[in-house]
Amino acid sequence: MTALPATSEAGARVPMGASLRPLLRLVIPALLVVGAYAFMGPEQFVNAMTRGAIYALIALGYTMVYGIIELINFAHGDMFMMGAFVSLTFLGQILGLTGSITEIAKLAPLLVAAFFISMIVMGAVGVTIERLAYKPLRAAPRLAPLITAIGVSFILQNIVMLKYGPYQTNSPKIFPSVDIVIGTAKIPALSLFIIVVAVVMMIALQLFIGRTRLGRAMRSTAADRDAAQLMGVNINRTIAITFLIGAALAGAAGVVNGLQYGVSRFDDGFQAGLKAFTAAVLGGIGNTVGAALGGFIIGFIEVGATVMGFSRWGPAIVFGTLVIVLVFRPSGLLGQQLGERA
Amino acid sequence: MKLARVGAALAAAAIVVSACGGSSGGNKVLTIGISFPLSGSSLASAGPARDGALLAIKDFTLAGYTIKTTIFDHAVNGSHDPQQGSKDMTTLVADPTVVGVVGPFNSSIAKVQIPISNEAGLLQCSPANTNPDLTKGDAGKQLRAKAPDKINYVRVATTDDIQGPAVATYGIKTLNLKSVAIIDDTETYGKGIADAFAAEWTKLGGTVVGREGAPKGTTDYTAILTKFAAAKPDAVFYGGVTSTGGGLVRKQMEQSGLTGLAYLGGDGIQDGNGSTDGGYISIAGAAAANSFSSVAAIHDIPGAADFAAKYKAEYKVDLGSYSASGYACAQIILQAIKTAAAKGDVTREAVRAAATDTATKFDTVLGPVSFDAVGDTSQKIISMYKVDMTAAGGKGDWIFDYQVDYK
Repeated sequence: MTALPATSEAGARVPMGASLRPLLRLVIPALLVVGAYAFMGPEQFVNAMTRGAIYALIALGYTMVYGIIELINFAHGDMFMMGAFVSLTFLGQILGLTGSITEIAKLAPLLVAAFFISMIVMGAVGVTIERLAYKPLRAAPRLAPLITAIGVSFILQNIVMLKYGPYQTNSPKIFPSVDIVIGTAKIPALSLFIIVVAVVMMIALQLFIGRTRLGRAMRSTAADRDAAQLMGVNINRTIAITFLIGAALAGAAGVVNGLQYGVSRFDDGFQAGLKAFTAAVLGGIGNTVGAALGGFIIGFIEVGATVMGFSRWGPAIVFGTLVIVLVFRPSGLLGQQLGERA
Repeated sequence: MKLARVGAALAAAAIVVSACGGSSGGNKVLTIGISFPLSGSSLASAGPARDGALLAIKDFTLAGYTIKTTIFDHAVNGSHDPQQGSKDMTTLVADPTVVGVVGPFNSSIAKVQIPISNEAGLLQCSPANTNPDLTKGDAGKQLRAKAPDKINYVRVATTDDIQGPAVATYGIKTLNLKSVAIIDDTETYGKGIADAFAAEWTKLGGTVVGREGAPKGTTDYTAILTKFAAAKPDAVFYGGVTSTGGGLVRKQMEQSGLTGLAYLGGDGIQDGNGSTDGGYISIAGAAAANSFSSVAAIHDIPGAADFAAKYKAEYKVDLGSYSASGYACAQIILQAIKTAAAKGDVTREAVRAAATDTATKFDTVLGPVSFDAVGDTSQKIISMYKVDMTAAGGKGDWIFDYQVDYK
C-alpha cells in the first residue's frame, strides 16, 4: 500500500535526489495535461477524463488487493459489472425510473442512494468472495488463488447472465443531459459530476490509507504480514476491509458507468477489467496513486487515438503502451508500493 | 456462456444418435443441419430464420427417405462466435447423413465455415449473409481453395455491394441528406457494408465527413461522436449489428451533441421492436426515432398472406425479417434433394450439384431464385424500413417503406 510522500511515517527512508524529484513530478505531468488539453480541445479532454475516471476507480481495487495479498483479482472487473447491475436494478426495476430527473432536490437523494446501495452491496459481495474463495487459499501457492479468481469471474458473469439475459440491459439515465458551455465548447454536466465523484473518492481513499489506524494496518500488512501480525494487527480483518473498499469502489464505478452509457451487459467487466488492470500495472501495481494515474492515462490514450484517427487501433495502442512502459520501467510509472517490496 | 456449450453438446449427441440410426423403417435418413446464433440478443434476428426453415422441412415428404434436422447454436455469451461456428461445421461435415445446412446468419461465421463445408462438398444455404467477399472475386476463391470447382455455398440474401449503396440512395434521394459520418464495428459484415455505403454516398454527390471504427465490446463512443459532432453531419451511418454497438452508438449520440440526427444502418440493426430484449429499438429507447435500415431480402413476397398465416398458425408470432429467407433456404435444399432422388441416389455430392446448377430455377416463397456461377442469388431486392415510435403499442417498431429490385 502506498503512502503519499506528505503522509509518510516519520523516519521513512528518503531516497537520493529527493530534492529534484518532487519538482519534476509536478512539472512533467502538468506539461502533459496542458499539452493534451491544447491538442484535444476541451470536449475530448473531458471525454478522456470521464473514461479515465471510471478506469481509475476500478484500477484502485486491483492495486489494493495486489498490494496486500499479491493476488491479481481477475474477478474485480466483474464486481464493476455487478455494481452497474445493482444500480440499474435499484433505479430501473425497483423505483421504475426511465428518463432523466431535472429537479436537483429529487435527483440528489436518488444519486446518493444509488451509490450507497451499490457500494454497500458490492462491498459485501467482495468480502464474501474473499472469505469463501481466497482466504482458504492464503497459504497455497500463488497460482491457486489466481485460478480461483478466474473461476469467480466466470461465476459472477453467469449469475448476472442467468438473471438478466445475455444481452444489453437498459440502465435509467436519471442524470439530465445538461451542457455547461465554456467558450464554444459544450461540456456535459454528467461528465463533470463523474470526474468530481471519482476524484473525491480517490482523495478520501488516500486520506483513509495515510491517516487512519485501519489505513496504517493495511500498509503494515502490505509491507510485512507476519511482522504486522506480531505487532497486533488483525490480519483477517485488515484483508477483509481491503476487499470491502476495493469492491465498493468498483460498485461506485458501476453506478457511474450506468449513468454515463445507459446500458449494461453481463460481460462488460471483462474489457473494463482488463483495461483497469493495465492501468494498475502502468502506474505500478500495489500503488494506489499509480493506479489512479494509470486509469486517467489510459483514458487519454484511447481518446487521443480517436482524435488522431486511430479509433480502430484503440485497444492495440493501450496494450502497446503498457508493453513499452514495462520494458523501460518494469515496476510501472510510479513504482510498486513504496520501497518495501521489490 | 455455458448454456450455449451445453446446447451444442446436446445437438452433437443428437447427431451421434441419428448417425447410429443410419436408416429408420427401411427409409434412408437424410439430415438437414441448421447453424445459427440462437441465444441472447442474436435470437431476435436469427430465431425467425430458423423457424422459417423448420416450417419448410416439416411439410416436406419424399418416398423412401426420412428427413431429420439438427440445430446448432454458435452464440457464445449471447453473440455469434466464429470459433463455435467452425466447431459446429466440423461436427456437421463429420455426420454422413447431413446433406445440407441452412445457415449461418453472420458473414464473419460464414468466413470460417465455408472452407470446412467446401472441403467436404456439403451444401450450405445462408438466408442472411450479405458480405460480397464470401463468394465474389479472389476473396471468395480463397474461401473455396480446397475444392474451387465445386460451389457448395449459396445464399438468398442480396449482397452488401447492393445493400450498402441502397441505403446510401435512400439517404440521399428519399431523406435528402447531404453529409454523413460513418462508424463500423470492424467486423466482416460491418466494415464491408460501411465501405460499400461510403463509396455510393460519394458517387451520388454526398460527402463523408467522418469514418471511424470501434470493435465489439466498446462501451464508450463519446470520443468518436464528439469528433463527428465537430464535422456537423446530416446523418450517422452505422455498419454492424446491435450486439456489437448499434444501439449504444445511437444512445450516446444524445450526450455528444448529435441529438435527433438521422441514423442509418443495414440489416444488422433490424432486429425486432421496442419490446425485444437486446434489440436496437429497445436499447436506443426514445432515441431510436428517425432511424432507418434495410433488409437484404424481398419484403412483398409473392403469396405473402398465405405464408404469414401459416407461420403464425405454427409459431403464434408474426414473421421476422428473415423468416421467409430461412424458409426459402430450406426449400432450395429440399428441392435439390428431390432432384437428386429423381436422378438416382441422394448423396451429399448429388444434392450439392443439384442446388448449385446455374440453369435451375428454384420456386421459393421469395419467388423464383437461381444462383450464379459463385452461388449468389439472382434476386437483388433491398427493402427499406424506418422506425415509428408509435408502433408496437408506443414502444416503437420498424415499418416497411419500400423495396427496390436492383437487377
